[in-house]
Amino acid sequence: MRDYWLSKLCFDLQDRERVAEYRRDREAVLARYPLKPEVRAAVLADDVVALARRTNPYLLRYYFAAAGMPDAEFIARLRTSADG
Amino acid sequence: MAELVGIYAASHGPLIARDRGRLPDALRQRLSAAYSDLGRRMDGARVDAIVALGPDHWTNFFLDNLPAVCIGIGEEHGGPPEPFMRDFAPNPIPGDPALGRHILETALADGFEPALSYRLRLDHGLCLPLSRMGLPRMPRLVPILINELEPPMLSYRRCLAWGRLLRTAIASYPEPARVAILATGGLSHSIGEPTMGAIDEDFDRRCLDGFAKGDEGPLLDFLEHGAAGAGNGAHEIRNWAVAHGAAGGRGFELIDYIPAPEVYVGCAYAAWA
Repeated sequence: MRDYWLSKLCFDLQDRERVAEYRRDREAVLARYPLKPEVRAAVLADDVVALARRTNPYLLRYYFAAAGMPDAEFIARLRTSADG
Repeated sequence: MAELVGIYAASHGPLIARDRGRLPDALRQRLSAAYSDLGRRMDGARVDAIVALGPDHWTNFFLDNLPAVCIGIGEEHGGPPEPFMRDFAPNPIPGDPALGRHILETALADGFEPALSYRLRLDHGLCLPLSRMGLPRMPRLVPILINELEPPMLSYRRCLAWGRLLRTAIASYPEPARVAILATGGLSHSIGEPTMGAIDEDFDRRCLDGFAKGDEGPLLDFLEHGAAGAGNGAHEIRNWAVAHGAAGGRGFELIDYIPAPEVYVGCAYAAWA
């Protein structure tokens, strides 16, 4: 199943202006999305594995690209979910 | 009457455009040669309109409203939003409302239920192959976006049926238009999954062999059971299945297969005679 509001956050961060705002003030942007507490915590912790369970893989990639995580680190973190 | 003058398929991938300057020369040249080959074929076929098949990479649709199939019947379509595609031209992209409407009506009359859009925004999925093919002029476009990102999705059997429907629709279009079908996407690749970056070369070669042999039963069996293990990007092979259905399952010609981990995609290029 998909977490709608997490997925909406990822979807909205395809917009460059929103990305810039998100990088400046993540809390302000997150305040617009009624995320469940555990989802919000996973977002703030850059918890790739926890978020991967809750949204579409393409949206997940868009999100972490917007958040500024390099592909190599994103892939390495994804693989920790497969390893354990 | 309209005529179906060509059926083509080409992979896409953001890194083919975004990282173009950083790709090894040999890979960049081989990718360019494959796209150019398709472009020469399409130009030689004097194509007036392209029915272009691709996924929507979360550009037009979201979880609020996610059609299985959407046909673009507008006078024009928006160009790609991705920064690495900002040089794409023409933008907006000319549509073919009459042909799009005819395909839509033919589909509805024949038991298919596509959605419609009067203005789609076309992302790198369709626009990257179109730009790399180097066409001297852009034919009118009827985009058909198929949900290939979020399960559940069309069965491969249904994709073949869609292809047959497109052939029927184009053949019955009363205007004198030379129409091509361009399928985009695939083959194996994985995005946002633990296998991200992996290419399943064995799967890809078996898939291409299945298209070449053309036998519907074994091909469907292979795709329905094998594609899900070749990465989530392999869902885009549905577009190839539609093209194969439009070709009547015959005439597949592989132009090139380039397993390219640098761009995360098992890149393939083909035409159906």
